[in-house]
Amino acid sequence: MSSYKRNKPPGGFKTYVDFVEFEERPIDVPEEIVEVKAEPELLPGEIVIAEANNVLKFAPLKTNKTGISGTLFITNFKVSFVTSLPVDTKEAELHERSLQNHFLNVHDVCLSEVDSVNQFSEGSTKKKRLFYNAPLPPRLSGLQLVLKNLRIINFSFKFTPAGEDLRVTQALLHHAFPPTIDHLFLSCGHPPPSPGIPDFCVAQDWERELHRTRCPNWRVSKHNEFFNLCSSLPAVVVVPRDLLDAQLDEAAQHFQGTRPPVWCWGSLAGAALVRMAQISPSITDKQQENRMMGLVHRCHPKKLQPTILDLDQMLPSLKDIQISYMKLRELHTPDDPVQFWEQDRHYYSRWESSRWLSHVSKCLEVAKSAATAILLHNSSVILQESEGRDLGAVISSLVQLLLDPHVRTIRGFHCLVQKEWVALGHPFSTRLGHTRNQIEEQSPLWLLFLDCVYQVSLQHHASLEFTSEYLVALWHAAFCSLHSSFMFNSISAKYTATAVLQRENPHQPIYLRPVWSWWAESQSLLVSEQNGTSENCLGKKHSREAFLNVHYIQSLLESLSATGALRRIRDPLSSAYHTWHRIKFLFESSGTLPFDSSCPVASLQLDTPLRIDVSLSSLKPWKDCFCAWLTEPATLTLNESESLLKRSPPNSQHWKHLYQIYNTLKGHLSDSLTNGTLK
Amino acid sequence: PPHVQMASHESLNSESKSSSLNSKLGHELMTVRDGSRTLRPDEPSLVPGEHMEGTAREVTYLCPYTGPKKGTLSVTNYRLYFRSPETDPPFELEVPLGVVSRIEKVGGANTSRGENSYGIEIFCKDIRNLRFAHKQTDVQYPLPIDREMNITVFRRFRILQNFGGYGTGQINEENHSRRMVTEKLLQYAFPASHKLPFFAFEYCEQYPENGWSVYEPIAELKRQGLPNESWRITRINELYELCETYPAVWAVPAAACDNDLRNVAAFRSRGRIPVLSWIHPESQATITRCAQPLVGVSGKRSRDDEAYIQHIMDANAQSHKIFIMDARPSVNAVANKAKGGGYESEDAYQNAEVQFLDIHNIHVMRESLRKLQEVCYPHIDNAHWLSNLEATHWLDHIRCVLSGALRIADKVESHKTSVVVHCSDGWDRTAQLTALAMLMLDGYYRTITGVAVLIEKEWLSYGHKFAQRIGHGDDRHQDADRSPVFLQFVDCVWQIMRQFPHAFQFTEDLLITLLNHLYSCLFGTFLYNSERERMEKEVKTKTVSLWSLILSNQSDFENPLYNPATRHHVLFPLTSMRHLCLWDKYYCRWNPSMRQQEPVHIRFKELLHVKGQLEKRVDELRKELAARQTHDSPRVASAIV
Repeated sequence: MSSYKRNKPPGGFKTYVDFVEFEERPIDVPEEIVEVKAEPELLPGEIVIAEANNVLKFAPLKTNKTGISGTLFITNFKVSFVTSLPVDTKEAELHERSLQNHFLNVHDVCLSEVDSVNQFSEGSTKKKRLFYNAPLPPRLSGLQLVLKNLRIINFSFKFTPAGEDLRVTQALLHHAFPPTIDHLFLSCGHPPPSPGIPDFCVAQDWERELHRTRCPNWRVSKHNEFFNLCSSLPAVVVVPRDLLDAQLDEAAQHFQGTRPPVWCWGSLAGAALVRMAQISPSITDKQQENRMMGLVHRCHPKKLQPTILDLDQMLPSLKDIQISYMKLRELHTPDDPVQFWEQDRHYYSRWESSRWLSHVSKCLEVAKSAATAILLHNSSVILQESEGRDLGAVISSLVQLLLDPHVRTIRGFHCLVQKEWVALGHPFSTRLGHTRNQIEEQSPLWLLFLDCVYQVSLQHHASLEFTSEYLVALWHAAFCSLHSSFMFNSISAKYTATAVLQRENPHQPIYLRPVWSWWAESQSLLVSEQNGTSENCLGKKHSREAFLNVHYIQSLLESLSATGALRRIRDPLSSAYHTWHRIKFLFESSGTLPFDSSCPVASLQLDTPLRIDVSLSSLKPWKDCFCAWLTEPATLTLNESESLLKRSPPNSQHWKHLYQIYNTLKGHLSDSLTNGTLK
Repeated sequence: PPHVQMASHESLNSESKSSSLNSKLGHELMTVRDGSRTLRPDEPSLVPGEHMEGTAREVTYLCPYTGPKKGTLSVTNYRLYFRSPETDPPFELEVPLGVVSRIEKVGGANTSRGENSYGIEIFCKDIRNLRFAHKQTDVQYPLPIDREMNITVFRRFRILQNFGGYGTGQINEENHSRRMVTEKLLQYAFPASHKLPFFAFEYCEQYPENGWSVYEPIAELKRQGLPNESWRITRINELYELCETYPAVWAVPAAACDNDLRNVAAFRSRGRIPVLSWIHPESQATITRCAQPLVGVSGKRSRDDEAYIQHIMDANAQSHKIFIMDARPSVNAVANKAKGGGYESEDAYQNAEVQFLDIHNIHVMRESLRKLQEVCYPHIDNAHWLSNLEATHWLDHIRCVLSGALRIADKVESHKTSVVVHCSDGWDRTAQLTALAMLMLDGYYRTITGVAVLIEKEWLSYGHKFAQRIGHGDDRHQDADRSPVFLQFVDCVWQIMRQFPHAFQFTEDLLITLLNHLYSCLFGTFLYNSERERMEKEVKTKTVSLWSLILSNQSDFENPLYNPATRHHVLFPLTSMRHLCLWDKYYCRWNPSMRQQEPVHIRFKELLHVKGQLEKRVDELRKELAARQTHDSPRVASAIV
């Protein structure tokens, strides 16, 4: 029996900051290290603002604080740690599964990810928060970055030349907490590849959605073209057919945020899903509200009463959600091993007392009742909420996830998020704290929604095309300033910021990059193996496998194994044809999203909704997300257990067989094509 | 010699067995049986050696989830079987009587006379309670007092009386059969209290594999490379005279002669001296197990014991240190001195370091499981689910056991240092720790055969008192010696499996089967307290081994995701609470509202099936194509659709 792989003794520069209680943890180091001047990789338009040499980076909670040495750079985009030493396996794994791995290296952190900066001194557990507007102490021995995605990184300046510590800290504090969103590094310098999905900013996209859902009696209005009607809505909205644009103007004035009710989804039978703001508190007259509800009522082909769900009444407030989140945040960012183990003893009861899962449960419950109203009673549902931009987005998206099979595909999910969250103006910047202002308005609704989706995926593990790792990646992606999708409060805010950037850099083209572009720069391992390609324009190519749900693909293949399915695979009207094309895109497409827009999306067929159990005992703490960065403090000499066996992707066996099946089918289909016998 | 059956795998017998096996894994059975046997529809299909003992009609099963169901209750010498034709498919409930922990009457003169207020409640060892009700007959008659009847039997008859309506006047058939059934239930649920044999001695199923030969102590020691220059194999305990709870064959340091062994035995609680559990194939660091030293309040010492520990250390040239892992909290270890026990003082044992692993005793564990059962069965309080779960401390104890085992594995693997493990008697916590550490260190124990060897060796042969801890066939449900020690071990294995899904050749189905038959008394494997008792009762020749069932149906337990290359890895699981979960597929399995996810290994099997299907279809189409081409027909592709 061979046992645990033993590594060579470490070479290179390695220092122990702390008293070494345990034997040193071996680190794999190449035999020879050629000392070169460390330089960060920069994007076009990115500049280095400050640097500090001989900085030690170490993971928190390691009692044997073996730091790795490198140079710390602050640029106008990121905190970049450059080292020749190998990375921690856990960090590498999470980097591999992130949506910003095209432009951030494993040791890099985007400035907008930084939540707080603390100073700490050696040998003491005390730490002190540093503020951008407060003076710095004369000398810093260490810096702790707490990131918004619950990650903690510690840097020690013990060996750093004096002065450099202060310069990087100052630069960091100055750039990580911008007063307005346009101070962030938003343009990626390259035209991003087309994400291949509609952005719901033009009439055509909404028309297509109306067409796909076949929901009658609604029309596209371009009345908000210059955001005169409402700054938080896109230029194009869908409104009742009988509502004139002039009436829309009048109505908008009565609602909070001048936001008139808008259609977001519907069914062939006529039930529509409508998001609506509350009447402005200054207005006592409910006439406009009643009128709008009446119009929704009249849109229904059977003139059925709409169901009105007052989300402000039914769901926790944004404040409550933020409070719960802060509790979980505290639970998942312990300062030291002592605190870790102290919290660990009460881990589950602390989850319960945070009430986070109870919020998740309530959201799912409301979504479930809305879905029931639509499907069983064919009743339109009006989701009413103060400005209609927060909980409305959560519930509306969940209803569609439960009812609409298209939304459960990757492309469909992207469309959903683009429509409900980005286009309809969820205030990402305010809620996630992208700027230094409005801290009291923060509330992680985006995470709450992703957690709800995670619970659905747990209960229906073959029904979503994407994995829960993808949901984690989407949460982490919301803090990277280059993902324009999650940076702004609305489409109009995005336009404003772009205009500001353009004015400041008149000679530089501005390219905003939607998060979905990641898919265009990734491919399946199958393709990489076949072509031997591994790089794209940014020099990195990433595999999709971690984000694709093997069980979903398996069920697609299951449907092809039914009798006669293969015979119909070339018939564009058959479902086998569609299934085959989806599989093909998943395995083969490179440079485009799975199923590009040339592949028509089938009309919505409401079949069986996803049934979900919303009772608290059926919901699970989303440890993959909340514990993503949390490593267990070392209690052993070797505690690399996690990396040891999990390194092989958990579904590798599954993938292997899926590839084999795919190749068999593909081989067969090309045979039969050349022979031309099978239609 | 044990009877060896070498029937082929394809025999009809094994087919039918695997299907009945699957059903045993699951929830309350609600399947329609196939008509392969001519049975009365309300009778169960019997296993060989099983026979009907009684049937009662018009009994209501009060299902906590789906409401009352009226049907027929049957009792055999092995199980209780209830069937209600009220639902479609008929509702079926099967419980091996071995899982019954106690039977209580419900209702009586002082309680309300609602429809279902009379009957019995059956408390099970597998985290469920069953309630059966019947209509109370209005007139009660005095008991017929039997001369031989002692007081417990008297109490038992009172139960019968209320359940069966013990009438003497108008004995109607219904009441009579009910009384019969309850009587039989008590008899066969508690055969030990009724001087009846366990059902395992009646069960005569023929399995192609003989599980009794899965573990041969010498062969296992040979596999570990023994004997070698530092370790010898001894049969000093062949007649179980030196230590009656130890097996016949031990591996001990070669430097210790038989006389030393006797002297050491005198200084260790119940003669359980340090013997080898596992030896590292490269470093020769070892795990040895024993009971506490008899130090006592006066701090007694034994030169022989000290020398013996030194021999264990010397047998491993890689380290000049030895760890003594005392599984108990240090307070308990100290308290044991008052009872003549205690722990090794580092002054007396040169080069030894004593560490306490803080694992609580059997009483604490029993109480924790009781709380867990309250939280899980029958209904879950959703609002406080997580905090209630935490308050049971069940996962806390699991964490303690796991991290203790991890510490042992780490010392042996990373420090190349030998470890001596003990608790008080060395048959509960010690067995958990050594077996888990071995599972982490040696991939062999993560195979189906290997886990059988591990359990046979560390648990059965070294005298974990299964009979006492489980209370097989015994009606003293409040016996303080009962404790879920083995269940905790299995739970720990499951936790490791969850973290390393590719490292085990078997799936959790094997673990659940183990636990089902830990209580069922269908197999002889877990009966009695020690190898010696099992020899005396001729368990190996008179009963079937659980491993016969498992080895004969290996494919049902195989993990398709198993990667054999992991056999050469050491597993170091994470042991913080954040990485532990309640094993709800086991503890909450009776609750239909606990939604069970389809396990990944089942999905994987399905995938292989789909693959086969698709390959077949492609093949068919190819042939069709080829046939068309040979026809060479100019007809333009007439659709085959």
